[in-house]
Amino acid sequence: MRNIAAVSLVFIATFAIMLTTTYFQVKPQTALKTEILETLKRLNDENASDPVLQEQIRELDLMSRKAYFVRSSRMTAGVYILLGMFAALVVSLHLLYAGSKNIPAKKLDAVDEWIVKTSARKYVTFGAVMLLATALVFAGLSSPHLVSNNPKKDREKTSSPPLEARNDEPARDDGNADPPAVAESPESKPEPETKPETKPETKPVAETPTPAAASPQAAQSAAESPAPRKAAPVTAHNGFRGNNSNGISPAKKLPLKWDLSAGANIAWKAETPRKGFNSPVINGNRVFMSGADAQARELYCFDLDSGKMLWTLAADNIQGSPATVPKTTDDTGLAASSVVANGKQVCAIFATGDLICADTAGRRLWAKNLGVPDNHYGYASSLLVFGNLLIVQYDNNKSPRVAAFDIATGVERWSRNRTGKISWSSPIIARIAGKPQLVLSGNPHITSYNPDNGEEYWRVECLNGEVGSSPCSAADVVYGASEYATLIAISGTDGSTLWKANDYLPEVSSPVATKDNVYLATSYGVVACYDAKTGELKKIHELSEEFYSSPLIAEGRIFLFSNSGKMHIFSADSEFNLIASFSTGERTFSTPALTDGKIVVRTENSLYCAAEIKN
Amino acid sequence: MNSILTCFALTRFALTRSAFSALPCVQNRFPKPDFESGYAYPGLVYGVPDEILWTCIDLAALVLFMSVTAWATLRKRLRTPVLAVAVSSVAYFGFFRKGCVCSIGAIQNVSLALVDSSYAIPLSVLAVFILPLVFALLFGRVFCAGTCPFGALQELINIRNHKVPRPLASFLSLVPWIYLLLALVFAMTRSSFVICRFDPFIGIFRMGGEVPMIVAGAVLLIASIFTGRPFCRFLCPYGALLGLFSRVSVWNVKIVKQSCINCDLCRNACYVDAIRPPCDNKVKESRPAGVRRILLYLVVLPFMAFAGALAGRALSDSFAGTDKKVRLLEMVLAADAEKNSPESQSFELEAFHGRGGDVGELSTQVVAVRNKFKRYSTGAGAMAGIIVGISLTGLSVKRARKHYEINDAHCVSCGRCFAYCPQNLAAKSD
Repeated sequence: MRNIAAVSLVFIATFAIMLTTTYFQVKPQTALKTEILETLKRLNDENASDPVLQEQIRELDLMSRKAYFVRSSRMTAGVYILLGMFAALVVSLHLLYAGSKNIPAKKLDAVDEWIVKTSARKYVTFGAVMLLATALVFAGLSSPHLVSNNPKKDREKTSSPPLEARNDEPARDDGNADPPAVAESPESKPEPETKPETKPETKPVAETPTPAAASPQAAQSAAESPAPRKAAPVTAHNGFRGNNSNGISPAKKLPLKWDLSAGANIAWKAETPRKGFNSPVINGNRVFMSGADAQARELYCFDLDSGKMLWTLAADNIQGSPATVPKTTDDTGLAASSVVANGKQVCAIFATGDLICADTAGRRLWAKNLGVPDNHYGYASSLLVFGNLLIVQYDNNKSPRVAAFDIATGVERWSRNRTGKISWSSPIIARIAGKPQLVLSGNPHITSYNPDNGEEYWRVECLNGEVGSSPCSAADVVYGASEYATLIAISGTDGSTLWKANDYLPEVSSPVATKDNVYLATSYGVVACYDAKTGELKKIHELSEEFYSSPLIAEGRIFLFSNSGKMHIFSADSEFNLIASFSTGERTFSTPALTDGKIVVRTENSLYCAAEIKN
Repeated sequence: MNSILTCFALTRFALTRSAFSALPCVQNRFPKPDFESGYAYPGLVYGVPDEILWTCIDLAALVLFMSVTAWATLRKRLRTPVLAVAVSSVAYFGFFRKGCVCSIGAIQNVSLALVDSSYAIPLSVLAVFILPLVFALLFGRVFCAGTCPFGALQELINIRNHKVPRPLASFLSLVPWIYLLLALVFAMTRSSFVICRFDPFIGIFRMGGEVPMIVAGAVLLIASIFTGRPFCRFLCPYGALLGLFSRVSVWNVKIVKQSCINCDLCRNACYVDAIRPPCDNKVKESRPAGVRRILLYLVVLPFMAFAGALAGRALSDSFAGTDKKVRLLEMVLAADAEKNSPESQSFELEAFHGRGGDVGELSTQVVAVRNKFKRYSTGAGAMAGIIVGISLTGLSVKRARKHYEINDAHCVSCGRCFAYCPQNLAAKSD
């Protein structure tokens, strides 16, 4: 028995060390992410017609998989062997010491209980004192957490100063997080730099909503007129699907019911001068959007409080702009791309390739033509603002690329050619491990770039067909989807595929995600909720509606318009309940813009603002 | 991009409905091959959980195991059935049910339910918590003997019986109470179920988990080879409660039916040191001096409670720092202080801002959490002081024993001593 026990013990010790070493060696490895395989795949992407290379990749891929599963099964077998040997050790030791148990360890002499107790009292007293001292020292050393017990003081510490701090830097490295958004809380003071721009906000510029009335000169003169300053909302909606184009809004106290035809909870309504399927954006107390037809391409600015048009800026006299507009389909048009605004500049792009940027007073800063995009429906990717960079996804049939421009000057900062085919999707900024990544959906790749210099981080071949849906991200995972292809979850850190699902897929509408769930709306009326971690389909709603507008999450709710103009509000949790569903009165294709207490909606023919109006 | 491609919408609608709606949900944690290999993926099969059935089986097994132990130790004085129960418990409650029908962890659910009416405690959890206590009140710690998989595992692998010096054991036996009080504080503030979070044996039963906890479990198991049940005696918070109930139990384990011959074999066999030898109090201290000491402890007791309360209150902020709301507010403030986008820091921040989180409101909630921690930590500290005081008072009591006696609070009803008692063996052979 002694020998068996000794052999078992040696075996256990050796085996445990081996297993532990193997575990820590294997743990950091990502399956199928060998350097050579990645290199070969990249070569294959560049030259897809090399069957020898593909065969090599296939064999390596198979080998990697085999190696992974062999390692995995060996680890499991190792644990079982270890447990078995441990049981053998215990049994052999039991048998080895079976005889010795009957012999008392001490002489049969009564222990002096009192000595033991006296000693125990000392131990307990000393131990208790040490515990007390340790507790007090620990409490003393650990810095007081956060706030005092005075809620008022807490609010002063937590609310106001951060808002002011953000206002100081409207264009920092990733500027569009919420920033200018937060521009003006009632307590904060506008800094000198922003004063000249905020001035015009005080005066409705164009009394009449005719485009002609709002020339740059008119905007200029109006800007100089003093007027009482209104408190701007705290939350911005800087671009398509909000800040970072991620579909999540920090807006609060949003209205949950309104009716355009009855005027219930409608703060204002304005006519849109020219057609456009782009979505409105909000910054400060201004609403921006664009419109276009064969005659003109225009950028509009409305007052958020009154709905009055403040100015219009025509995208004309741009070098390289085509004399005749490219052919587009009626459901796309010339102004399908949403504009962006960052508190200082506002930019728009049209299907002609005209890119224009203005300040918030409507003064044109710069404009250029990027080349008429070869696009059979019409260019539709929305702009994205990242700090002082304006990012343009320019996927078209001839020379697809992604480019970043200095938003203040229009100087091109970087440009990267894109592989693959045309797409209509829009870029987003995903936060991966705290760092920003520029993520683009395309055909066939979802690609991640460094937004500062365009360096490619990773790409995953997963989509096909006409990709119109944009990606989204949550908890370091990027989600992309397209009809006829897949819904895919990609690890933002290494570009590995986490899961795929094919049950319900969006065509035009883009998905939105929380750390727990991914939500999407299809063109055939199904709104689906998937588990963000596994891809399991959790729940669907079949609504017999058509969805082009994208869902937005705010205040734990999902706001989603159907094309008929019906607003659907769901709970943004795993229950995914339909909280409300009501018709708003006009067909709606665009995604609304959310700010505190207000929802600005662009319908087929008008722009309106829904807000809780107390009688 | 909002509007494109309506010309294909109807066609796609029809195609998608027919092509995809019938497909099962696909989970691909492991990436599919890049090239088609001809392999047909099996469809997913979802098991239908039958929690009610399993809950009933768990409760039935719990009652059965404890009843068998009570019958074997109180009526028959046999150890073999206890060992059989221990093996069954490790196999069923441990490896099969993954150690998660747990009376120890249920303390937290019960305490939370007591202070938070919005928390609905499942009846099964309540039963798992109460049944061992009821059995302890009737028969002593029969739950610890072999029904608890943690205790059973330690029981089965114990080889040697190196005794922890009693003075040290006296101090270490306070640790379960302090652990219990801490667990109550964290549970009642709805911050964390620390007993579950730092369960050392779960990783072993599940053959996987966080490395530190598996290491802790392995260390405890190795220690339990050489000494009796280190976890049950010096860590288990539920064991502390059971010991309390067992002190006043209706029927207790008796080593021998006949008269004790003071052979010391049972004490030597007991690996949890629950058998007290005969003692005639050799101390030379006068009775008035002993009484004065006890009175002194009783007088000091409120001060001990006060000191404990003070320490608990001082630690409350540190404890509160582990609460998720407090951590979130810390993150929000840190992000603001660094002038970074809230979204740039972590997903928690993104979620907070995404759902329209109000910093002021969060601050108010944090203040409420902190107040709760202050209240409960202060109470827990006071209780800890009282427990230390009572322990010291108990250690000051002089008591003479003529025979070997079982300390009911420490005895885990393992039945190990039965086989060592010559009187017991003689009675059986008769």
